[in-house]
Amino acid sequence: MTAPVTAPEDGGIRGASRPIWWLVFVQELKELWVGGRALNLLILFTALMSATSFLLATNSELSLTPPRLMMVVTLQSTMSFGLFLGLIVGAESVSGERERATLEALLLTPAGRRAVVLGKYLAALSPWPVAMALAVPYVVLLAQGDVALGIALVWGAALGTILTIFFTGIGVLASMWSGSTRTSLFVGLLVYLLALLPAQLPGEFQATTAGAVLQALDPLESARQFLNQYLVDGVALDDARLLLVAPILALVAVLIAILGFAAPRLGLDGATISLPRLPTFGRGA
Amino acid sequence: MSAGAPPILIAQDVQKTYGARTALRSLSFSLGRGRVLGFLGPNGAGKTTSIRVLTTILEPSAGRFEVDGIGSDRPVEIRRRIGVLPEGLGFPRNTTGIEYLTFYGQLFGSGSRESRATAIALLADVGLQNRGGSLVGTYSHGMRQRLGIARALVNDPRVLFLDEPTLGLDPRGQQELLTLIQRIARERDTGVVLSSHLLSEIEGICDDVVIMNAGHVVAKGTVAEVIGQSGAPGTGERVVRVRVPATLVATAQSLLDAEPVVVRTTLTDPIAGWLAIETKDDDRPDDGAADRNRLLAALIRADIPIVAVETGRGRLQDVFLQLTAEAIE
Repeated sequence: MTAPVTAPEDGGIRGASRPIWWLVFVQELKELWVGGRALNLLILFTALMSATSFLLATNSELSLTPPRLMMVVTLQSTMSFGLFLGLIVGAESVSGERERATLEALLLTPAGRRAVVLGKYLAALSPWPVAMALAVPYVVLLAQGDVALGIALVWGAALGTILTIFFTGIGVLASMWSGSTRTSLFVGLLVYLLALLPAQLPGEFQATTAGAVLQALDPLESARQFLNQYLVDGVALDDARLLLVAPILALVAVLIAILGFAAPRLGLDGATISLPRLPTFGRGA
Repeated sequence: MSAGAPPILIAQDVQKTYGARTALRSLSFSLGRGRVLGFLGPNGAGKTTSIRVLTTILEPSAGRFEVDGIGSDRPVEIRRRIGVLPEGLGFPRNTTGIEYLTFYGQLFGSGSRESRATAIALLADVGLQNRGGSLVGTYSHGMRQRLGIARALVNDPRVLFLDEPTLGLDPRGQQELLTLIQRIARERDTGVVLSSHLLSEIEGICDDVVIMNAGHVVAKGTVAEVIGQSGAPGTGERVVRVRVPATLVATAQSLLDAEPVVVRTTLTDPIAGWLAIETKDDDRPDDGAADRNRLLAALIRADIPIVAVETGRGRLQDVFLQLTAEAIE
């Protein structure tokens, strides 16, 4: 028999040619993209974007919606649909491994839990840049040469990235706690619908202080409001930037929750999510 | 096991509880280098829990264990020294065998080139050298089990844990896998913990055995010791085991019980029709051969077909059935 790799005696990952998170990230990308799941989601995304753009273009022909508003609405749709892709992939990232019985093999390696989760998290974010790139032609077409196109694309991409990191993180968190993808998807979808809720409230309520606070706390609605105020209503950046607080705080919170708290406690069973803390040898029980 | 070498795996009073439910009580045993230890027990006996605790997937509620001198308070260090094939292990479908093993080699700290070379060598070791470039999704169940064993070997483990490795394999696949496991233990000097339902396979390749039931260890030692110490019917020195058609076991039993040399006749396997006949120990030099012949002659005279006859040391299956039944009672 051949002599395989001998585990390094130093006890670290120092012999690795690449960081663990990178190895997991590449492996996950392969499963996601070669397996066709990301492509299927992007087809769905494209269909939704096409339908939205068609409706907006129809409105434009009737002179009901100005080009700048159409551009912003398209960007908002890109964010809403695009982050949903990350949410779905994130919600499947760990619980899917549990269901396929592939998680245990990963946990049996000396690889750090945080690095494993980070690799999966980054892979779950991978559909977003592609979705954003796919959305650019729609935005350009509907902008009809509007001078704010460039800045709109920059802000749309930036806010979309922040929101995608947040919602994908929600999906990953749910996935780490759940034993089934169905449950983690349900939790993720629930959070997503709750984030959409403030925009659906009656206009009278939205105009009240409570409505304004609710919108300001909701990262998705805040981002939408920011794009509206800054790009459509012409509100100065200094005045509109308060609306960026909620998305940024949400982003920081979810990163801390995942990498600081949940990832080191990742376990084989979703409900317990506990990292083994073994008793000291020789101490007995 | 290397002469005088300390055990490679030691478990001392390991326990695991889930709230009020105790899944594992007082697991204690040791395993030597190059030896195969069989983990036996009915469903729910605690075999998988034991393996998950010993492989650091679960935290023990009490007790301690050591792998290659590393205490259970250093789980990451233990993971470097063990290889595990969990029960029902899943595999990514869109990865080739070589890519899969290379990935795990890298997770254990090896460079990509080294991992790839190891992957190719391991695939050859487990007989998958011609399928290394194929997607794992196209592998048969037996091939996946072999790939799983190869994955468990990427870090050259000191102890290899195999949880029901032959489950779902056809008889040829089972035999080939067991031969591979035995070869791994002998050639790599690796201690192997083999959990299985198949008593014949345990008896065939294991040096030591631990029998568990309802979270307890009910017997442990070498296979011969466990069989010898059990006192189960059909496991003594003066015992002959006879298999007759299941429809005739009652007739055969009463006939044999009437023979003066018989101490007792026990039906050990009603479905297959196995009877264990214990004969009197009269210190004759033929070691009971004449008595055995007399019993067989009695069956032949009664026109009871003799399907099979076994003498000598008893079967592990008889011990297992008795010990697990006693524990249930």
